[in-house]
Amino acid sequence: MIDEQMAVFIGSGLRLAVPIIFAATGEMLSERAGVLNLSLDGMMLMSAFTAALASWATGSPLIGVAAGVLVATAVAGAQAVLSVTLRANQLVVGIGFNILALGSTTFLYREIFGPLSRDPIPGFAQLNLPWLAHIPVIGPALANQTGLAYVSILMVVVTWLILKYTSFGLAVRAVGEDPRAADKAGISVARTRYLGVLYAGILAGLGGAFMSVADSNTFTENMTKGAGYLAITAVIFGGWNPWYTLAACLLFGFATALQFLAPALQLDVPVALLLLLPYLLALVAIAGFVGKSRQPSALTIPFERGG
Amino acid sequence: MALLELSGLTKRFGAFTALDDISLLIERGEVHCLLGENGAGKSTLCNLVFGVHRPDAGTMTLGGEPFDPRGPAEALQRGVVMVHQHFSLVPNMTVAENLMLGRASAVLKPQDIIVRMEQLAAEYGLEIDPEARIDELSVGERQRVEIIKCLLGDPQLLVLDEPTAVLQPDEIDALLAICRQVALRGKSVILVTHKLGEISRVADRTTVLRQGRIIETVAMEGADIRSLVRSMVGRDVQSAGSVLAAAVDIEGKTPAKSSSDVGPTSPGEAVLQISDLVYRDPHGVPRLDGLSLTVGTGEIVGIAGVEGNGQTELGLILAGLAAPSGGAIVVGGTQVTGCTPQEITDAGVGIVPEDRHAVACIKELSVAENLYLGAIGKFSRFGLLDKSARRKAAETMMRDFDVRASSPDVSMASLSGGNQQKAVLARELSLDPLVFLLAAQPTRGLDVGAIEAVYNRIRAARDDGLGVLLISSELEELMAVSDRIAVIYRGKLVGELAAGSFSREAIGAMMSGHAHV
Repeated sequence: MIDEQMAVFIGSGLRLAVPIIFAATGEMLSERAGVLNLSLDGMMLMSAFTAALASWATGSPLIGVAAGVLVATAVAGAQAVLSVTLRANQLVVGIGFNILALGSTTFLYREIFGPLSRDPIPGFAQLNLPWLAHIPVIGPALANQTGLAYVSILMVVVTWLILKYTSFGLAVRAVGEDPRAADKAGISVARTRYLGVLYAGILAGLGGAFMSVADSNTFTENMTKGAGYLAITAVIFGGWNPWYTLAACLLFGFATALQFLAPALQLDVPVALLLLLPYLLALVAIAGFVGKSRQPSALTIPFERGG
Repeated sequence: MALLELSGLTKRFGAFTALDDISLLIERGEVHCLLGENGAGKSTLCNLVFGVHRPDAGTMTLGGEPFDPRGPAEALQRGVVMVHQHFSLVPNMTVAENLMLGRASAVLKPQDIIVRMEQLAAEYGLEIDPEARIDELSVGERQRVEIIKCLLGDPQLLVLDEPTAVLQPDEIDALLAICRQVALRGKSVILVTHKLGEISRVADRTTVLRQGRIIETVAMEGADIRSLVRSMVGRDVQSAGSVLAAAVDIEGKTPAKSSSDVGPTSPGEAVLQISDLVYRDPHGVPRLDGLSLTVGTGEIVGIAGVEGNGQTELGLILAGLAAPSGGAIVVGGTQVTGCTPQEITDAGVGIVPEDRHAVACIKELSVAENLYLGAIGKFSRFGLLDKSARRKAAETMMRDFDVRASSPDVSMASLSGGNQQKAVLARELSLDPLVFLLAAQPTRGLDVGAIEAVYNRIRAARDDGLGVLLISSELEELMAVSDRIAVIYRGKLVGELAAGSFSREAIGAMMSGHAHV
């Protein structure tokens, strides 16, 4: 009985961590290039909605994911134009996009799905990998995930490789630390930052689409519930390092999943309080860690040649 | 055949002619020094060669081919590289990462860079750990990384713009040795400096610039350093007493009679006592190493030294902007070691800081607000600000100190540098109590008229019985204003000269650490 509960807890912990892993990993790279996308939650929400809509309309969850990523990338493009080219305040731009995303998805959802909101949305099936299932305790939880969940871990590896072993990654780090020096070394600061923001958009899109077509197979109003903010927190908590950021995402995922474990442990805690836990944890993480880990020096600072 | 030929180069910035009809040959394999005072046109000349600016008239050839770089990228392509005064390295990345930055190849190949660095280390003695992070390196080591960055592409011409201004003397030796090595390999080096000692050690030939013109080009073998100095400053080195007069004369004005002609009053009791001051910067590098100094009432003490020998840190510590690692500072009997700026002000210290824009004023605020920055309480009643009272007081102060602005309400940023500095002086000299004034590089970037006003204010403060410490990189300024000059070298005072015995040579020798008086 307890074993079964444990498997559910681990399974849902991982599942709940996946969207945050996607979003945080992309955001980490963008922030290393010096651009903070506070609009991350908005990108995820728009992608979740678009993925649900496209999947419902075409019957293909894959097309849903593609459409979601496309929309999130478009939002990222707009964010990049405003914060890189026009040098607008990155925080204000981000807040604007989040409000826009919440308002537009809620409106469109009611307009389009209103009477149909009980209709199931075609989603991905779980893969059920037998070779993973044999691992005791965590095996079943690891094996019974959708393909996208494994892609999220793959993206962490890819992002780590980019940052450590490619010229682009070196340029990203240089641009986030000292754009002036990077500029003198012949690197286009704007181009590097655009690519960083678009990368964050693609991954946030994957994270948002995961929520609607791979996890819950439905869309609900404000379904991200601040997952984008948690992702930003995870980046800070993880000290702008891909692996520590992954760990922070998992922590948030499992904190959210605690609600499933509470009945088994016969904890007499209101579920609402448990739902609060990841956000509380995020606050503690920021308060305790932001001073210690060093953020990229040029984070949120627009670059202007000369002067 | 010469590597680089400049003929008739002229560069104007607005009405100001920075370079006037410059013709010069740079031979292959020579170290060619450009010597001149601040504003003589040395940096402009380098920037033309490196493509940062484009000439208004004249032509250049490089290796016999026409050379007209439209930007640094084009100059780099033709094998011209430049080390600027301000480094462009990413501080929290390693040396190897900085060297790989901006080089085409999708996947990083640190091994290639390390091999190339080993070659350069063997050829030029440019040893540096590729894995070291830039922010762990000293200024001299960072500069070495910049030079390696330049040499990676095997250039023909290396331009160094005042590379020694930021270096410790032993680092200067190493840099000069590298210049010789580069020249030995058939490449040419243009080295900009205004320090004579370096020239005699490294240059094959030297070109002296003054006010945008070439005064002379001389081969260094058997050259007379004294005559070089004469060409550089445009007058005999002995006439140091009337420097200010000469400075004014350059502008075609008549020098005003200054109160220094009255001569210093005899200094009274000690107002500032610094004993065994030690300061290590955040990287652990010692910047002040047991500095002791006393300034009496009614006395101006000048601090001379090559930049980077601890004078900036001394100024910061006296202003309370850096905490000393050891030693004691006493002002008028009050211990102020490691005190806050407010406590130091309360002890009677006025500060004219080196970085006027960052430290001395808030440019976006009005002149009146800046004049009473530290004394807001003076004009508030029941917590409300009495602006008209402050305005009136500010107007009086502006009149007294000749701060020229249309009204006390205009922003500080709209004032000229000279008027900003006069406002800062007005504020600091109006402090009560006031027993000591620190003036760090008080005339940097000011025009001649404002410079004179600043000198007069400092002298008047001295005549009122204040002790004054004047930190300056301008020898002539020190000799014109100070009653006593102490020379700082590697964080210590290494010698002192009293008024009447000032000489450029003696001070210069002490500044380079070669002689003690």
